[in-house]
Amino acid sequence: MSDPTIQIRSLSELHLDDIVRIVEKTRHSYQPDLWEDRVTYYLRRDPESSVVAEVDGRVVGFMLGDVRAGEFGIEEPSGWIEVIGVDPGFAGRGVGRALADAMLARYRERGVRQVRTMVDAGMPEVERFFKQVGFEPDSLRPFVRRLD
Amino acid sequence: MARVTTSELPKRFHDAVLKWRETFLPDYDFLLENWERYFPRDPKFRLCAYREGGMPCTIECGDELGRNKYQRACEMRPEAAQHLAGAIRAQASTEFGSIQQHQLTLARAQDEEEQAMVLRMMAEELRHGYQMLSLLEADDWKPITGQSSEQMVEEILSMKTGSHVLGAFNVDFESFVDNIVFCALIDRVGKYQLAMQKVSAYAPMAESMPQMLREEAFHLATGVVPLRRWVVKAAAGSPMITMEVIQKHLNKWVPRALEMFGDERGGGTNVKFGLKPMKNSEAQDQYWREIGKVVRDLNLRYLRARLPQLDAGQAELTLDRLESERGVVEGVDARDLLRLPHRDYFRRRGVPAFRMVGEDGGAWTDVEGYLGHLVKTLPDGYRATRDFQDYVTNLRAVARGEKTPEEAQKFMPQLRRVGGVCPCSRAVRWVADEHVELPDGGAVHGG
Repeated sequence: MSDPTIQIRSLSELHLDDIVRIVEKTRHSYQPDLWEDRVTYYLRRDPESSVVAEVDGRVVGFMLGDVRAGEFGIEEPSGWIEVIGVDPGFAGRGVGRALADAMLARYRERGVRQVRTMVDAGMPEVERFFKQVGFEPDSLRPFVRRLD
Repeated sequence: MARVTTSELPKRFHDAVLKWRETFLPDYDFLLENWERYFPRDPKFRLCAYREGGMPCTIECGDELGRNKYQRACEMRPEAAQHLAGAIRAQASTEFGSIQQHQLTLARAQDEEEQAMVLRMMAEELRHGYQMLSLLEADDWKPITGQSSEQMVEEILSMKTGSHVLGAFNVDFESFVDNIVFCALIDRVGKYQLAMQKVSAYAPMAESMPQMLREEAFHLATGVVPLRRWVVKAAAGSPMITMEVIQKHLNKWVPRALEMFGDERGGGTNVKFGLKPMKNSEAQDQYWREIGKVVRDLNLRYLRARLPQLDAGQAELTLDRLESERGVVEGVDARDLLRLPHRDYFRRRGVPAFRMVGEDGGAWTDVEGYLGHLVKTLPDGYRATRDFQDYVTNLRAVARGEKTPEEAQKFMPQLRRVGGVCPCSRAVRWVADEHVELPDGGAVHGG
């Protein structure tokens, strides 16, 4: 159950510093340029899909994604969840679930019938989270070939 | 599920916009040819009008709350319809006007990516103007404004910098810093106006707003992201950009942005008519808080670049100290940081119009001393513009007691470029018109 004090808002350029701060806390890496590029990408492509979560006016989580079609042989438009970040100080308060609920609702409202993401097998907590919000393994499998 | 429909203007109107585009947006073809290079995977730009379906069909605020929204302007109360026509005209003017401003200095960008983002933004502003023209074309405005749709469209397409409805769109750009600061500050006002008009009692207006708002989100990033990178360059001592230059551009544009909300005492009529949900001062207050966050975030980005040993929390604490102590902390002088100019600084409309309030909020009593302060706190190039001269003339007149501040602020910028109504005219002779007094709504073309 989500914390009722969590407010969900659409992503905007005003959230850049908040996202950089959350990523810095979780990945111990300060990468403002990278996140400026990524946030700009989502804002110009699909500003209504991505969301941030606020508690007491402070951004404590974000979820980025967009609706795309024609990739990997999937012709039907799919909603994608590509990045999720939650301030470690707010872990376990339902921020991730609130973000997922909001983003899925937005996709549903736009007529999207399937939402996709990819999870690193080395991050079981992320896999657990997506299972909790209703995701299940799909036939689409990642392949990689190293060139070095 | 929200349904979006698209349409094009009848050919003669569409062709007029294309002709306007050839003149004022000559890089449009370059943008489309290089779209994949700059914006891979993004849907290609299309010049058309969007209408969102599935929106509330009853009036969302004001005297007629709950009544069905209007599909035709002539069904509305005459005074409400006149306010609506003024709002559409003003909105269209801002869209076309901003392209004319951006075009002046687009080529001066130092970074190709930033230039491409501004160029795309200009194309989207063109579409927003087109959207407003579609509202004028699709309804009968003659009983309301005395002008046919053709006349209104022609008038809008003939406006140039100096004859636009709102002051911010009559200020010439001097460098690419203007392009970027304008996106960060003036487009943000646009976001507020569009968000408010999304509840409009006139359904075609409300249904026009969602797609414009989606595009506006990118326009704000087009301003804020380069600014964030410029403050890092400034922190590194780049000769190309300094905090002082950015500050002077904030000083140039923040007053104009605040005035775009209209007189702080007004806006109640729009709420009453169900055209907007907020009075001018309420929207302006929200905007003020928002640009405060923009400035604070820029300062944090600057501090992190100056003091890379700090983490996010430490940087916030250091910034708090700098803001409260106004001294030097860890080798960073508070004077190196950006700040919002005082809300009453360099104002020519609204409650503080022609008050002599300094950038820091200090009051001035001597007009020449105040003008000297403006000269020091505004961009050098701006001082040589007719826009600034017009302000100086009116301020001196107020100081001499020849005009009251209320009289002075009713003077539109008295400039326009003559060349007839043909949008492809390049004639640029500046002329002085007769003074035109604005009604309370503030949206009347003086050219």
